[in-house]
Amino acid sequence: MIFGLYGSLIIRSQQRQVNSSSQIFLPENMKTLACSQPVSTFDSRRQVPDQLLFPRNFNCGLPSGVSRRFKIYHQPKSSFWESIRSGFEKNSTIQVIEPASEDGLEEESLLDEFVLSERTLPDGSVEKIIFSSGGEVNVYDVQELCDKVGWPRRPLSKLAAAIKNSYMVATLHSMNHVPGSDENGKRKLIGMARATSDHAFNATIWDVLVDPSYQGQGLGKALVEKIIRALLQRDIGSISLFADSQVVDFYQNLGFQADPEGIKGMFWYPSY
Amino acid sequence: MMISAASRPPLIISTEPSHVDLHRLKDLYAACNISGHRLRREGAAEPVDPRKLRIAVANSFVVVSVFCRPIDSSSSGAFIQRMLPLTHWNGELVGFGRASSDSSLTASIHDVMVIPSLRRLGIGRMILKRLIRVLTSKDIYDIAALCDKNERLFFGACGFGDDMLNSTTMMYTRSSSNNAHQGQLIL
Repeated sequence: MIFGLYGSLIIRSQQRQVNSSSQIFLPENMKTLACSQPVSTFDSRRQVPDQLLFPRNFNCGLPSGVSRRFKIYHQPKSSFWESIRSGFEKNSTIQVIEPASEDGLEEESLLDEFVLSERTLPDGSVEKIIFSSGGEVNVYDVQELCDKVGWPRRPLSKLAAAIKNSYMVATLHSMNHVPGSDENGKRKLIGMARATSDHAFNATIWDVLVDPSYQGQGLGKALVEKIIRALLQRDIGSISLFADSQVVDFYQNLGFQADPEGIKGMFWYPSY
Repeated sequence: MMISAASRPPLIISTEPSHVDLHRLKDLYAACNISGHRLRREGAAEPVDPRKLRIAVANSFVVVSVFCRPIDSSSSGAFIQRMLPLTHWNGELVGFGRASSDSSLTASIHDVMVIPSLRRLGIGRMILKRLIRVLTSKDIYDIAALCDKNERLFFGACGFGDDMLNSTTMMYTRSSSNNAHQGQLIL
């Protein structure tokens, strides 16, 4: 039944113009891609050992303001009575808040990209691992990466929307450079992680994954630590995630604690 | 045990973010003893930070507010008050809940609260059901909530359960953000 719902979503989205910012690439015909695979609703949170974490794009600084689109907060229309009432009350904190100035607090440029590591391959070429956040994310590459680590497929449009509306998305790309030639090789996505947040108190890390052939190098650890550091810098104190049994130790080493103070995560299950 | 809904005062429920009066919301957080922080921090029992609350509400995908007709004992005002329709600006904020999301795959529910005097009347359940309704209407079915021991009963009664995939809930518990980062992170 869930599959049927997703099937209908894809058909619907073909009719309406999907907002493709330059950052998300969507296929022409999403139907064939999405409907051919079984769909699971509960896989977003899985932090499985094969998927290490690499924050890729810290999305909160999208200059086009596109990520704001899905935020339901409207400018509070201070009603006539409210404005009079606020004028009378002494320590009133009621104020008309311009969304622009509010977002201005967060609109720091978060496009961040640097070379994490470099190594020389046996064939002489130099391979760079590039960490990047707040930059472009090709949703096809992400889907491919999810396939490599063995995750069930999710509808591409939903994946794209989720990435676009995540508070932070960080990625790792590998780039091969042959010394002596001017041009750099193609960038290949080898890791990603994203976090959703209310921008103030809580954040949850989802979808952490690293290409299996690049695992075991400490890349995943660096990724998670970057996300954590960026979140803590913004004073977001509650960072949570839902880890598979095999990766609990991995996260414990990074400073996470299982069921701290008896807090457990619960999930909604519709009763039909 | 729930008292019948008939004995509840008149309520309205709203998901309109502009109905959220941050001043009154701050008072509600205080009345329910919620600071916004999940884990106990040093200097606990701190009131919710109004600036952060404003940001959190602005960036929550769904907000639900419940207003109740204020009980005015003085007879002069009571008649007029009963005649006026209950709206978000003349009602008293008695319940709240919010959810953050990536707007497509997952959502997390936070800060569901009802003032102590009106608990066990089904208001919390109403808030939660409304949150779920809005989320599922946007095709988001992966809805999570972090619950301590007491909240687990409440969420369990509203259709929440342990993770089917048996994942472990983990939270970051190292130094709080107040401490300077002493270069403990690589790079």
